[in-house]
Amino acid sequence: MSTPSAAEMRQILASRKIERVVVLGANGTMGYGSAALFTQAVPEVTFLARTKAKAEAGLAAAIKQVRSPTVATRSKTGSYDDDLASACAKADLIFEALTEDFDLKKDIFDKIEAARRDDSIVATVTSGLSINSLCEGRSDSFRKNFLGLHFFNPPNVIVGTELIAGNDTDPAVVDFVDAFSQIRLGREMVRTYDTPAFAGNRVGFKVMNECAQLAEEVGVLLADKLVGPYTGRAMTPLTTVDLVGWDIHRAIVDNVYANTSASTDEAYETNKLPDYMAKLIDKGVLGNKSGSGFFKKDGKKRLVLDPASGNYTPEEDIKLPDLRYIDQVAALHRDGRYEEGMQVFLNAEGEYAKKARGVIAGYIAYAFQRVGEVTETIDGIDRIMGMGFNAAPPSVLVDTIGAQGTVDMIAEAGLAIPSALADAAKTGEPKRFFHHRRINVGKFFVAE
Amino acid sequence: MAAGSEVYVLGGYQTDFARNWTKENKHFSALMRESVEGALQVCEIAPEEIESAHVGNFAAELYCMQGHLGAFFTEVNPAFSGLPTSRHEAACASGSIALLAASAEIEAGRYDLQAVVGIEQMKTVDSGTGGTYLGTAAWFEEEAEGIDAPFPKLFGKLGDEYDKRYGLNDEHLAEISKINYANAKLNPNAQTRTWYMNKDHAMCRTDDNPAIGGRVRISDCSQVTDGAVTVFLASREYAEKYAKGMGKKLSEIPRIKGWGHNTARLKFADKVAESANDEYVLPHVRSTVTNAMKRAGIENVDGIDGIETHDCFTTSEYMAIDHFGITKPGESWKAVEAGWLEIDGKIPINPSGGLIGAGHPVGATGTRQVLDAALQVTGEAGAYQVEGAKNFQTLNIGGSGTTSCSFVVGVD
Repeated sequence: MSTPSAAEMRQILASRKIERVVVLGANGTMGYGSAALFTQAVPEVTFLARTKAKAEAGLAAAIKQVRSPTVATRSKTGSYDDDLASACAKADLIFEALTEDFDLKKDIFDKIEAARRDDSIVATVTSGLSINSLCEGRSDSFRKNFLGLHFFNPPNVIVGTELIAGNDTDPAVVDFVDAFSQIRLGREMVRTYDTPAFAGNRVGFKVMNECAQLAEEVGVLLADKLVGPYTGRAMTPLTTVDLVGWDIHRAIVDNVYANTSASTDEAYETNKLPDYMAKLIDKGVLGNKSGSGFFKKDGKKRLVLDPASGNYTPEEDIKLPDLRYIDQVAALHRDGRYEEGMQVFLNAEGEYAKKARGVIAGYIAYAFQRVGEVTETIDGIDRIMGMGFNAAPPSVLVDTIGAQGTVDMIAEAGLAIPSALADAAKTGEPKRFFHHRRINVGKFFVAE
Repeated sequence: MAAGSEVYVLGGYQTDFARNWTKENKHFSALMRESVEGALQVCEIAPEEIESAHVGNFAAELYCMQGHLGAFFTEVNPAFSGLPTSRHEAACASGSIALLAASAEIEAGRYDLQAVVGIEQMKTVDSGTGGTYLGTAAWFEEEAEGIDAPFPKLFGKLGDEYDKRYGLNDEHLAEISKINYANAKLNPNAQTRTWYMNKDHAMCRTDDNPAIGGRVRISDCSQVTDGAVTVFLASREYAEKYAKGMGKKLSEIPRIKGWGHNTARLKFADKVAESANDEYVLPHVRSTVTNAMKRAGIENVDGIDGIETHDCFTTSEYMAIDHFGITKPGESWKAVEAGWLEIDGKIPINPSGGLIGAGHPVGATGTRQVLDAALQVTGEAGAYQVEGAKNFQTLNIGGSGTTSCSFVVGVD
C-alpha cells in the first residue's frame, strides 16, 4: 500500500464529518484518555459509563490527564441506560472502551446496533480481541463500519496506534479513520491484521514476558539490567510490566498463548506467564497500582522482588555480577556512537551478556518472523515498537548492529534465522531496513 | 548576487525536538553528532566532501558549560579533523547568522560545500534559570536582571504596542497558537505533537494557562527545547555535480534566492520609540523581509508559497503577518480570521508548527526553518507539505526584534 500524500489525506478527511463522538467505558483509563484526545478534534464528545456518576468521574480524570478544564466545554456525560440510545443515534463515531471481556463487549454492541445510524463508524479500542469475532452475526452496515482503533496507554502521550480492519470493513472507512487519526489526532497509524494482540503487544509483551521468565533464573534486578535502556528502550522491561499492571500483562500474554500454538509460533513458550507471577497476582500483586510488583518503594529505597519466595530485598543488598560492558556501551551511547556501542554489546564476553543478546536476538527474530502474519511488512512492526513502545524498532537494531552481526546473534541464541536477515547478511542488500529518513534512530538508545 | 555565486541547499537533518537529551543521559557532543551524521546519511554525502563548518549556538557556555563549539564539529568524524570551523552567536538568530556566514564564503568562492549546524541544549537547567539565561539576549542589566521570564514580558509589550496603535484581540493570538499546535501534530519531529491544545484551551484564562508576560500566556509561548539541525550549503558547481549524482536536475535543488539581515537597537523601548511615526512596529524586521524578497526577485508576498516565521510568542507571529505584507500594517487579524495561515490556506505560516509547536532550540531555529523551507519546495515535508510550494521564506529573530534574518528558499 503506498502512503497517500498530505493533500490526498486531507481529501480523504474531507469526505465525511466527525462532529459527535460517543465513548463507552469512559470511566476506564483507555476510555477517558481516548475521550480527552477526541475533544481536541471534534466539537462534542459524550462520556458514557454504567452510571452518570462514573461517566463524570471519567470526565474529571480526562481533565486531569491533559491538564485542561476546556475538555468539559466539549463534553457531555451519561449512563448506558438513560443516554446510550439517544447519544449513539446522533454519533458519527462510536468508540467502545469497555473492559477486555468478550461477552461484555458483545452486550454493548447489541445496544449500539439498535441505536446507531447506518453510516456511523463503530470502533473498539480492544488490545487484542478478534475484530472479526466481535462483529460476527451483526448487520451489514455494522460490519462495514466496524474496526479496531487501538490506542496505547496513555493515549495523550503515546502516538503509536493500530488500525485493524475486519473482513467486511469498508476500505473507505479504514482510509478515513486512518486520515482522521493522523491529521486530527496526531497519531502514527499502523495497519495490522486481525491476529491475537495484533502487532505491538504481540511483539512487545513477548519480550517483557521473556524477561519475567529470565528473572526467575537470574533475579529481577539483573534481568532488568541486562535488557536495559542501553539495548534500545526508554524503560526497562520489568519496570514497564509494573507500570502496565500485572493483570493487563497476564491478559495479553494469556490471550496470545491461548490463541497460538507451538506450530504457529516458534517462540510459543516465551508467551507463557511464569507461575510465580500467576501466584502473586492471586495474592494481589499487580505492579504499581497495587503498590508492589517486580519493584516496590520503601520510602526512598527501592525493594526488589525475589520470584521464588515472593519476598522483597533492598536493591543495594543485591550483588550483581561484573557488568562493565554495559557501562562501556552506555559511555559510547552518551557520545552518540550507537553503532560502536552495539558492537561492544555484540562482542561482550560472559554468560550474562550472552543472555542479554539472547533476548534482543529473540526480539528481532520474532518480529521478522511475524511479517505477513501481523502486518504486511516489517515497517508496521517497526513503527509500533518505536512509537507505541518507545523501543528501538527491530529494523533499527539490525541497521545499527549490522545484518551479519544480527544473524550471528540470532544463531548464538539458537533461534531460526528469518530469511530476510539471512539474505541481507549474504548479499549486503538492503543496506538498511528502516526507511524513515527523518525519524531519529538515536533516541531509542539511552545511555544507561 | 553576482551570477555564478548562487548558494544551494542540498538538504539536512533535524533531531526530534521532543527529545530530552539530559534524560537520555547524553552529552552535547551526541546532539551534534546525530544531526551531522543524519544529514550526511540523508543527503548521501561522504564526510570527506565537507570543506568547512559553521556552528550557530546561543549559550552553550551557560546551559552546558561548554564553549568552542566549532571545534566540536571535528569530533563527529575523523575526516573533519583539520577543517576550518567557527561558531556564530546572535541570540535566537544564531542559526541564520551561521547560514549567512557560510553562504558568504560560498559566494566568495572560498568553499564549495559547507555544513551549517544550529544547536542548543536547554533542558539542562530548570525553567527559572533558563529564563534568566534567555534574558542575556536582551540588555540584561536593564531589561532582564531580577525579572522572572523577561522575554515573555518583552513580547507581551509587543502585543501591547499593537493594541495601542491598532487594537489587538487576544482571540486572534489564541487562533495563531491553535494553528501552530495543530500543524505540529503533523510533524514527526515537533516537540508538542502530543500536547493538548485547542482554541478553547488557548483562550483559557485560568491557572491552567497562566499569564507569564502581561497578555502573553503559556499557550502563547514557544518551548524550551533540545535540538540540532544541520544543513548543507553548496556552490553551483558542487550542486550541479550533486544533482547529477542523485539523478536530479539542478533546477530541482533548492537555492537561497534571497536573504535579508538587519540589526535594530537592543532595548525594546528604544525600538518602539524609533518606530513611533512608522506604520510598522518593527521597521527593521520589515526591511529584512523585503530585502530578502527583493534579492530573490520577488515583488511581494504573493510570490511566496509559505512562510516559516519566528513565533517565539504569538505576538511575534502576529507582527510577522503584517511585516511580511500579508495584510496592511495593523490588520494581521484579517489574515487570521480569513484562515489564510493554515496549511491549505492562501499563505500558510509555520506548517511545521513553528517555534510554538515544533519547538525552539534557540541556536537551531534558523537552520530548522531553512531545512523546512527546503523540504517544502522539494515536496518532502510529508504530512505538513504545502501543496505545490516553489518558494518559501523564513524569518528568524534574535532578541526583542533585534537581529532579524530572512531567507527565500526556492526551486525554479
